Amino acid sequence: MFVQKSMTRKVITVGPDSRVLEAHDLLQRHHIRHLPVVDSDNILVGIITDRDLRSALPGGLYGKTPASVDTGPYADLTVREIMTPKPVTISPTNTIEDALLLIQRIQVGAFPVVDEAGRLQGILSVRDLLRAFIAVLGIEEPGTLLGILVEEKLGQMKKIVDAITEENISFGSILVARHWEPNMRAVFPYLLTNNVSRVKKKLTALGFRLLDPMEWYMDRIPKVD
Amino acid sequence: MNRTGLLYDERYLRHQTGPYHPEVPQRLTAIYFGIQKAGLLPKLTLLSARRAERHWVEMVHERTYIERLEAACRSGAVAFDSPDNQMCAETFETALLAVGGVLEAVERVMSGELDNAFCAVRPPGHHAERSKAMGFCYFNNVAIAARFIQQKGWAERVAIVDIDVHHGNGTQHIFEQDASVFYYSIHQHPSFAFPGTGRDFEIGYEVGQGYTKNTTVLPGMGDDVYGQAMERDLLPAMELFRPEALLVSTGFDAHVDDEMSDISLTSDGYAHVMRQIMGIAARWCGGKVVSVLEGGYNIERLPELARDHVSILLDV
Repeated sequence: MFVQKSMTRKVITVGPDSRVLEAHDLLQRHHIRHLPVVDSDNILVGIITDRDLRSALPGGLYGKTPASVDTGPYADLTVREIMTPKPVTISPTNTIEDALLLIQRIQVGAFPVVDEAGRLQGILSVRDLLRAFIAVLGIEEPGTLLGILVEEKLGQMKKIVDAITEENISFGSILVARHWEPNMRAVFPYLLTNNVSRVKKKLTALGFRLLDPMEWYMDRIPKVD
Repeated sequence: MNRTGLLYDERYLRHQTGPYHPEVPQRLTAIYFGIQKAGLLPKLTLLSARRAERHWVEMVHERTYIERLEAACRSGAVAFDSPDNQMCAETFETALLAVGGVLEAVERVMSGELDNAFCAVRPPGHHAERSKAMGFCYFNNVAIAARFIQQKGWAERVAIVDIDVHHGNGTQHIFEQDASVFYYSIHQHPSFAFPGTGRDFEIGYEVGQGYTKNTTVLPGMGDDVYGQAMERDLLPAMELFRPEALLVSTGFDAHVDDEMSDISLTSDGYAHVMRQIMGIAARWCGGKVVSVLEGGYNIERLPELARDHVSILLDV
């Protein structure tokens, strides 16, 4: 999946010479945390975040509407003075996997998405990534998750997929995870059906072990007494 | 002893789901014979199916959806909207008979002719969305019943308690922006069960916020967790909502022997849950309660579960 598909295209931006209080007002009004800073050609020059504003403005100003308080010397403060210039960006043709790995490494809340010329195309926030990840997992479609323990050898997955396909059941997704037992894998097919009792029996008959749902997450939840 | 109605009709057996499907006509015959074998039939007022008038179905479902289902049925389709929803030529008619039968039972109870009723109907309803069939369900029987009660002026505030082991996504979505219908569901945690909705943070939207409540139960849990959860989550909610009518989506699939779930409710646990629901009905609705069958797939267990359920309604 490409960034282009998951990013937010309608981006609220400011110019570098705008007032910081104006940027502050935009963040408040649109309930956002990141404001890309672009020049008149829509070339990205920086980014300003709610954290930048929190450190730049005194407590009495941050989170207030400018009209309601005396803004004092902060009225003339410009975006350029407090923005992060040249933030880490991502391209529309980067993948969601790229974005997930990158966001974990550099710990930002959002990436401005820019084309080769440096023009702003969109913004990809943690929220957009979560949405994409939920889509990949398929968990917003109705279905049932199974947990199957399989030996780590060639052809196991084929057997599982064949058994499920023979039952005319569609897949939402399949996750494969390491299991604590050596040479074993846990396979989690998310099946788009409510009707799994027959396929469960079939998989058991094929010699697969169905995992107790309470063991799926591989860490025990404290017992409820 | 209460004046209890039992809705059962052999025409409900005509909806056929094909081979290897758990939602089979034998579920209903098992329920009926369980009640019969326990000698309860003479104590019950037997109600039979009747065809629902379209305009009542349209209180909940889009007209285009109803027409689409009717057309699919006529065309000889074997599945509708999802491979889970296996159907036959009689499905549309049977679904209308299920709705109509439930409305008949509701009318008898709300008019005071009966104290309560159990509707052994199929196809079930709580997964059916406004415009989509899902999880073996076509028309949302209980949702239509709630609107029927309100339209007839018998009650303004209707509570729906859903004890099927799966979340009633259809019922929740139909009423989640409505403060006049409280939807409570207790079910296996959605990360472990169909359909994946009914998380405990789903509480309704807009004016309906706070009028949807979900209790999620982890696999392996049973009687104790159910009993406690209903006291903790349902009873206080009812104190605030003060329902004037109570509908129950009764699914017997949380039973420990039912393969459709990993919940370990025993037959005694089911009886306890039903008594708690009767307590709510007594406190707020003059005892008026209409229970409508949803899931429950273990043919060996259904007779005793139905027997207990009806005995509690009868108070014998």
